Amino acid sequence: MLQLQSVTKRYGSVVALDDVSLEIPAGEFFGLLGPNGAGKSTLMSLVAGLRQPESGRVVVDGTPVTQTSLDSRRALGLVPQSIALFLELTAEENLRIFGGLQGLRGATLKARVDEAFAAVQLADRRRSVVKSFSGGMQRRLNLAAALLHRPKLLLCDEPTVGVDPQSRNAIFEFLQQLNRTGVTVIYSTHYMEEAERLCSRIGIIDHGRILALGSLDQLLTQLPFEDEITFPAGDATAPLTRQLASCGEVSRVNGTHRFRPRPGYPLSSFFTLTESFGLPPRLFVTHRPTLEAVFLHLTGRMLRDN
Amino acid sequence: MSQILILLRKSLLNFSRARAAIAITFIVPIALIYLFGHVFGLFGNNPGPEHIKVAVVNESPEPAARELMRALKAEKTFDIVTEARNANGTVRPLTEADVRQALYDNNYRYALILPSDMYRDGRFGVRIKFLTNPRNEIEAQTVNGVLQKTIFSNVPQLLGQSLQRSARNYLGDERYARFNQTMADTIANTFGGDPAVIRERMEAGNFFGAATTGRQDEAPAVAGGLRRLDVAKPAGTADGTTQPAATAPASNDADRKDLFSRIVNIQTEQVAGKQTKNPMAARTVGGYAIMFLLFAVSGSATSIFEERDAGVYQRLLSSPVRPSHVLWARFLFGIVLGLVQIGVLLLAGQVFFGLQIFQHAAALFAIMLTGAAACSAFGMLIAAFAPSAAAANGIATFVVLSMSAVGGAWFPTSFMPGYIQTFSKMTLVYWAVEGLTDVLWAGRSLLEVLPKAGILAGIAFVVMLVSVWRFNRSKFFE
Repeated sequence: MLQLQSVTKRYGSVVALDDVSLEIPAGEFFGLLGPNGAGKSTLMSLVAGLRQPESGRVVVDGTPVTQTSLDSRRALGLVPQSIALFLELTAEENLRIFGGLQGLRGATLKARVDEAFAAVQLADRRRSVVKSFSGGMQRRLNLAAALLHRPKLLLCDEPTVGVDPQSRNAIFEFLQQLNRTGVTVIYSTHYMEEAERLCSRIGIIDHGRILALGSLDQLLTQLPFEDEITFPAGDATAPLTRQLASCGEVSRVNGTHRFRPRPGYPLSSFFTLTESFGLPPRLFVTHRPTLEAVFLHLTGRMLRDN
Repeated sequence: MSQILILLRKSLLNFSRARAAIAITFIVPIALIYLFGHVFGLFGNNPGPEHIKVAVVNESPEPAARELMRALKAEKTFDIVTEARNANGTVRPLTEADVRQALYDNNYRYALILPSDMYRDGRFGVRIKFLTNPRNEIEAQTVNGVLQKTIFSNVPQLLGQSLQRSARNYLGDERYARFNQTMADTIANTFGGDPAVIRERMEAGNFFGAATTGRQDEAPAVAGGLRRLDVAKPAGTADGTTQPAATAPASNDADRKDLFSRIVNIQTEQVAGKQTKNPMAARTVGGYAIMFLLFAVSGSATSIFEERDAGVYQRLLSSPVRPSHVLWARFLFGIVLGLVQIGVLLLAGQVFFGLQIFQHAAALFAIMLTGAAACSAFGMLIAAFAPSAAAANGIATFVVLSMSAVGGAWFPTSFMPGYIQTFSKMTLVYWAVEGLTDVLWAGRSLLEVLPKAGILAGIAFVVMLVSVWRFNRSKFFE
């Protein structure tokens, strides 16, 4: 569905995308995870035909993307990071305008507008002026406006920024449902939880380069540990941390110790050790590592710090 | 094209929802035009400037000075002040010292002194002092003009008295009396009339027929004199005699004021715009309408920055829409907005000032359309070159005001220095205002205004091309 072939994009002396190659098959829910300024929005804008790369090629559904060609744009829908709506107009007027620009007319346009309102659960507010909507409702309408022409490829550029949890869940469910109908979704975010929850494949991007690419499980295998155990810091656990240092990596984060066992270290040995110190099992929580750990491992920086 | 029309519809819908924009576009200009109508005297018949305070100190005992005072008081342009109030509330005649202080204090800005030696012995002519504190150049010129007109209307009598005094000095009393008696007898014999009355008038300096001897019982018709020379020879009576001048219609102020126009007869004929009810309104409303339109379309064009910053163009341009669609839709919106705004303002001009806007509808529409197109393109140009909406608004204010002043939106370019007049022809305001004035004032037809409409269309086209080029070059939409 989408191919990026050695794509480079610069803004003056700043390299926003550095020789990026990527292939996304039809029907995939692809996540683009990276901090602000990593190059996510630039990649989206190149795919949407809003900008032209200095070198390389972008192909959508078999059609090369250029700023002048309109063909590739009919296959895609863009949900911009900002609320790209006419706030003084009603929700219905907005959708009719964007649908019209996609070439929809008459009964088809009306049917698609009705369908979009039903999908984002805003049918009862269709005649309200958009500026009277809550942030979450505006986000949902922002999404609906990109779907009227039933695109094969949906580009979501951080679509949940500033959205309350309830609206965020509604958006997630809607996107997953859309993906199940065969729509390819590219979802850029700097929230690892969103990428973990939604995406079948994730690309971690930083400083304009794709650092890692694969499913969540594949990415986690890049880590030198498989599990992570946290327990409270204090006098009672101090002797334990000294013992654990030879078994893996121990760090302290906000009053909590985090133990990442070296590969091959059996968890049964860990709990045998804690029993020997007389520490109850309820103090210890075992986690599966997150994308945060992968990002930290790859860049030496925390994703959240960005 | 359908993309452009959809975007145009969007802009119109957006505008219709923006109450503040509607108020600024229509209500404010209508209110200002109404206000300017009062300022420029466009309501009803414009009487011109009135009630300008002029102090007059009459130190002269001469009858001609009294006559001049009477004429000045009759002039509606002036409020003549002749008295000063004492500390105890009583009034006294003004003195030169009074008016000098009052001028300095800006109590009034003009004063006329008719000095006691208004006629200086041994010299022909009249001496009058005009003191000013001309804070306003235009007002000073107006006052000068009206004062000169009033004084020169009384020149015959003023000079007549001067001539009599010079003659008395030169001839001596006896020969002077004999000369006047001989002249009065000759006039009476030739034109009829009482030689004694004629002599009395001559000695008062009134050769030309104004009855100012001061006699209560005098018949104003008896003067005769030079005023009779420019009219047709009196018709013969039935018995073959000539009707004496003494029975001609009485002389009056109009006759006296008309003296110079009889000597130099200028025939004035208005060739164009004769039927226009309120010619000054035609120019004023047209000029200000163009200025307001420039402000409106500039403001509208700068909203392109708001839409860009809101990310709307990301969505639009990721659909089958090109940047040129966005720009031409905005240009068309500016034209529609301009047509409506000029139309509303001209309609207001019709309601307020009796402007005749439907007599040459086709010609008017041609100028409105091309003028609106030129203004809309101008708004796009400002947006294309400005780095931000705030900068665009600042640039627009500066350029619109400058172009309106230079282009003749405020007052005719013929008042301006030559080099400004040359420069004004390079502005769209000049051609739009001239075009509107051609239609509204001179009643020109569509064919006659086509050259000006063509120039405006050309300006619109070239400016729009430059704007599109600039938008593309600056990568505005990226």
